[in-house]
Amino acid sequence: MKRFFEKLVEGALLISGSITSITILLIVIFLFKEASGLFNSPVIEDGYVLAFNKDNPVKKLSSYQIKQIFDGAITNWDEVGGKEEPIEVVRLSDLTKYYTEAELGANFENIPAKASELTAKHPGIILFLPNSYIAKNFDGTLLKHETLRPGDFFGGKEWYPTASPSPQYGLLPLLLGTLWVSLGAILLSLPFGIAVAVYLAEISTMRVRNFLKPVIELLAGIPSVVYGFFGLVVIVPFLQKTFQLPVGETGLAGSIVLAIMALPTIITVAEDAMRNVPRAMKEASLALGATQWQTIYRVVIPYAKSGITSAAVLGIGRAIGETMAVLMVTGNAAVIPHTLLEPVRTIPATIAAELGEASAGGGHYQALFALGCILFIITMIISISVEFISSKKYSK
Amino acid sequence: MTSDIRHKKMLTIDAKNVDFYYSEFHALKNINIEVEKNKVVALIGPSGCGKSTFLRLLNRMNDLIDGTRMTGSVLIEGKDIYAPNIHVDELRKEVGMVFQKPNPFPKSIFENVAYGLRVNGIKDKTFIEERVIESIKSAALWNEVKDKLNKSAFALSGGQQQRLCIARALAISPKVLLMDEPASALDPISTSKIEELIYELKKDYTIMIVTHNMQQASRVSDKTAYFYLGEMIEYDDTIKIFTNPTELSTQNYITGRFG
Amino acid sequence: MTPIINTGNIDRKKRISQGVAFTIFKLMSYSVVAMLILILGFIVSKGIGAISWDFLTKAPEEGMTKGGIFPAIVGTLCLVAGSSLFSFPIGIMSGIYMNEYATGNKVATFIRIMTNNLSGVPSVVFGLFGMSLFVNTMKFGDSILAGSLTLGLLSLPLVIRTTEESLKAIDNSYREGSLALGATKLQTIQKVVLPMAFPNIITGLILSIGRVSGETAPILFTVAAYFLPKLPTSIFDQVMALPYHLYVISTSGTDIEASRGIAYGTALVLIVIVLIVNLLANFLRNYFSKKVKTN
Ligand SMILES: Nc1ncnc2c1ncn2[C@@H]1O[C@H](COP(=O)(O)OP(=O)(O)OP(=O)(O)O)[C@@H](O)[C@H]1O
Ligand SMILES: [Mg+2]
Repeated sequence: MKRFFEKLVEGALLISGSITSITILLIVIFLFKEASGLFNSPVIEDGYVLAFNKDNPVKKLSSYQIKQIFDGAITNWDEVGGKEEPIEVVRLSDLTKYYTEAELGANFENIPAKASELTAKHPGIILFLPNSYIAKNFDGTLLKHETLRPGDFFGGKEWYPTASPSPQYGLLPLLLGTLWVSLGAILLSLPFGIAVAVYLAEISTMRVRNFLKPVIELLAGIPSVVYGFFGLVVIVPFLQKTFQLPVGETGLAGSIVLAIMALPTIITVAEDAMRNVPRAMKEASLALGATQWQTIYRVVIPYAKSGITSAAVLGIGRAIGETMAVLMVTGNAAVIPHTLLEPVRTIPATIAAELGEASAGGGHYQALFALGCILFIITMIISISVEFISSKKYSK
Repeated sequence: MTSDIRHKKMLTIDAKNVDFYYSEFHALKNINIEVEKNKVVALIGPSGCGKSTFLRLLNRMNDLIDGTRMTGSVLIEGKDIYAPNIHVDELRKEVGMVFQKPNPFPKSIFENVAYGLRVNGIKDKTFIEERVIESIKSAALWNEVKDKLNKSAFALSGGQQQRLCIARALAISPKVLLMDEPASALDPISTSKIEELIYELKKDYTIMIVTHNMQQASRVSDKTAYFYLGEMIEYDDTIKIFTNPTELSTQNYITGRFG
Repeated sequence: MTPIINTGNIDRKKRISQGVAFTIFKLMSYSVVAMLILILGFIVSKGIGAISWDFLTKAPEEGMTKGGIFPAIVGTLCLVAGSSLFSFPIGIMSGIYMNEYATGNKVATFIRIMTNNLSGVPSVVFGLFGMSLFVNTMKFGDSILAGSLTLGLLSLPLVIRTTEESLKAIDNSYREGSLALGATKLQTIQKVVLPMAFPNIITGLILSIGRVSGETAPILFTVAAYFLPKLPTSIFDQVMALPYHLYVISTSGTDIEASRGIAYGTALVLIVIVLIVNLLANFLRNYFSKKVKTN
């Protein structure tokens, strides 16, 4: 009986122990499940169709091409692989330019017939209409089942989920924005973090250390939204004034806030690494007449290299995944950034800002989950590389 | 700079009334010891009696431990090494140390030996190269490593690593060499190599060695000091200590009755 | 061997460069302290004016430009309680399993790696996951239940790690002593190991509460309400929460300028929670470590 009870408890403990693994598995399943529909979602808004003249050799258009056509950036069919023929963009509201209201019918009951007629008559037409206005015997090519291609997402240069008729789900500006802001953050905080770690591990007295450690712990404990708020009311106006910017919400603001937030991680991990340097190694150096500083940069830092690398990588990981603070201070413009003094938008900030508006199961919703997948994959790569780096210590 | 200009009878090591404390713990009690130039002194005694502590006083390695305190004086070549105007890094250049466990740096064999030169500001490549080779030869390691100077020092055997550490200490030409159980982690063959080496090094250096091996002490040293519970019980010529010690406690220890 | 040529000059150079380097390190370290003081000082000085009894006990009024933050405080308390109910038992059990049962074997290593991985997952991904699993698939809707479970999963790695480390710190001789007296493994854990590890585990749990109370991204889509003066009556209700409230009124409130005072006040409340949690954790750590020493 007692034996049985012990086994039972052990089983319960094992189950608890496996929860984290199960959670990771579930995260993978659910994130990818929600995102998986993305490449089955239509390139044009739900419930709408695009139609061409039936003699037009173009039968497919990518999401980005559609956007450019409707923006007027592409004006001739030969730019998208068709004949030399000017493109004629027609939306539902434009029908009144071709037909009188009487012709379209009091209740627009004639629209399907007229739309069909118009498409047949104009060789360069591209017509954007709700599904319901397409007649059964429509005289033209319908672009109806065209779906988003992986290239549109992974290679897409624009994130514009509300664009009509073709929402843009381009990953690049967000990914580059994320990396850009995180890189800025790590460049700011790494020298600081290592310096503080060196000070704590090798220079400071026990008393100073006992004072600094809680300070760093506190810095780590401040919630990210408070950092975001502080950034918003202090750092953003400060940057705006200093650099004479139109808006202070910039990548640099994000980098500064993230740098402060990543600091505790970097300090703690790097300090641990330096503390693990064998005493014998330091004594050997000092016994040869090296000063403490020479010992630090010639022996301690090289020896703790892998730990310091882990610290940097973990710091980057924190920066990449950080959501609220970045959302509040970076201005969230979804354009590919060129300098740190422009607004940028990161992947986590995009998810947080837009998921509330995206209708469940729609293309936008799926695209946001796809962003979640990307973020998850990046952080897994980071975790695994840290695991790898720290297992690769000096072999003796 | 070499001491032959100085007074002939100048003692290389002269410790007077040394007391040492780890916080509250009184680890060394009134130690007095004099060592002449080019002599080998062995420190023996049961574990925890303060041998390492004393050795580490001579290059101020104990400064690194928080809460330690020393009274009395230690003169090396007539200079009080605990005087306020002494810089420890300069002192440690004069007083080399070899540790119990070989502790090479995770660098190449060459860089290990060159380390002391580099940290002391020597940039002349040919000088460094000559000095490294000379030191490795003095440490009787040359034949074993001459083809792999750029290999990691960790690739050497324990005994070779220890001789590398000796070469490393020799490279900056100290006046005194402190060795804390340099052979205790080694096999008998490596041990005898180290002993032969000490015999050779005696010509150029003053050596203080801690050992638990009585045969070793009697083979390599000119004088022997016996420590017990923080006190130096007896200090005399090695022959005397091992054949006819004054103190009973010394005799008991040497004959293996305790310790 | 000839001694090295006079290097007195070098010795001075060495010491000067050491002095310069150490001064820089010291300055950088103290500027971290300055950073903390700047952030805390700013929020305390701006927020203290907003704090009043009404602020802490009344619902927001007039488009959240007036009134208090009581519903948000209650909401955060609910979420902290709910997530702790989930993560504490599971985390502690998991830590016990790793340190006491699967010592050093592959299972423990695997769990440890997975736990580390989980702790690296960004909080917004937890938000997505919680929304997909708890809100949509399990049909809890936006609710305290869904939010608590999401936050619970998020804080699990922290709880596991502190438990494991607390247990690891206990010398094996205590376990052996108990086992030698004929106690079973479970009894040993129950009667000897856990009581000794308890103080450190508690410290970890307190820190995890601090972490949970400040998280925003995971609750955005699982529980947090923009404006809901009514207090929750069941675990299937939505609630307001302090961090989300701060986000909302400082970025997208009806009148951002007018609600600044409230925003400072809310930030201050959050900071105070963090301060209390950290002070408490430090106090416990010192208190118990002294006690262990004198025993
Ligand atoms: N860092 C320290 N802090 C406090 N006490 C210490 C420290 N190092 C050594 N001691 C104590 O000082 C005494 C002398 O130690 P020491 O290392 O000098 O002994 P030893 O003679 O070298 O012993 P062994 O033969 O084992 O190396 C011991 O009782 C030891 O416990
Ligand atoms: Mg010793």
